[in-house]
Amino acid sequence: MGNTMTKEELIAKLKIIVQPYIQDEDAFNNLSEHTDFINDLKINSANLVDVVLDVEDEFDIRIENDDMEKMISVKAAMDIVIEKLAAK
Amino acid sequence: MIGNDIVDLKHATTGGNWECPRFLEKVFTKKEEALIFASENQHQTVWLLWSMKEAAYKLHVQKFKKRFFNPTRLECELISEDKGIVKIDDNEYFTASTLTEDYVYTIAKQNNTQEVYTSVFETKKEDYKIQSDLLKERFLKAISKTKGLTFHALKIEKTAIGIPQVFYASKQLSISFSLTHCGRFSGFAY
Repeated sequence: MGNTMTKEELIAKLKIIVQPYIQDEDAFNNLSEHTDFINDLKINSANLVDVVLDVEDEFDIRIENDDMEKMISVKAAMDIVIEKLAAK
Repeated sequence: MIGNDIVDLKHATTGGNWECPRFLEKVFTKKEEALIFASENQHQTVWLLWSMKEAAYKLHVQKFKKRFFNPTRLECELISEDKGIVKIDDNEYFTASTLTEDYVYTIAKQNNTQEVYTSVFETKKEDYKIQSDLLKERFLKAISKTKGLTFHALKIEKTAIGIPQVFYASKQLSISFSLTHCGRFSGFAY
């Protein structure tokens, strides 16, 4: 996927990943980097594990539990993906 | 303070595929995995431990007001089939669970003597908004009855980090409570 992915492309990819698990359509349609997975999208925590696994698969990275700890918003997920891709 | 969590055991979207090793790794400690694989009903044990962690987490967040997502940090111990302890950092929470064919429901408390009023009910409609509104209504009706407060003056609002709080005529009440729903089931505890 190269290292030229823009912020918008990254958000677009995350949006596709979270779609099956969201329970609030309005928040999903307005998804931005400030969107919270739990409070806005109402993703339940079991499905949040699925989101993390899907992010690992999509970007071919490993997210340790210490990194996962912060992954409760689009912004936090973006930061982790960018950090992991840079370390590859 | 109190936390609760319900899991509909037959709900299609009840969390990913727990049989996937990567899922287990992100959720359970090695000790908990051993408990799961040694149990007769593994599906039930997975969601029993999960609901213990969730209920304890909800209590913990009320207490420390800081969110995180790392289920392995909450370590479960089973004392009996339905009673347990969940440890996180230096905190211990006591859990009591109800296990049926349809659901697992857990309440987490700070000590064993804490009195709790709780209710679990089934809803036909699975729409998130409808369920969430119904759950709040049922909870507020219970509060109204047990505390002798006018139902229409009661309201729930969430804090910036998503902790629900109950207000009576715009004044915050010091009632710790927890709401949960999954699939067909909802529950509240206070």
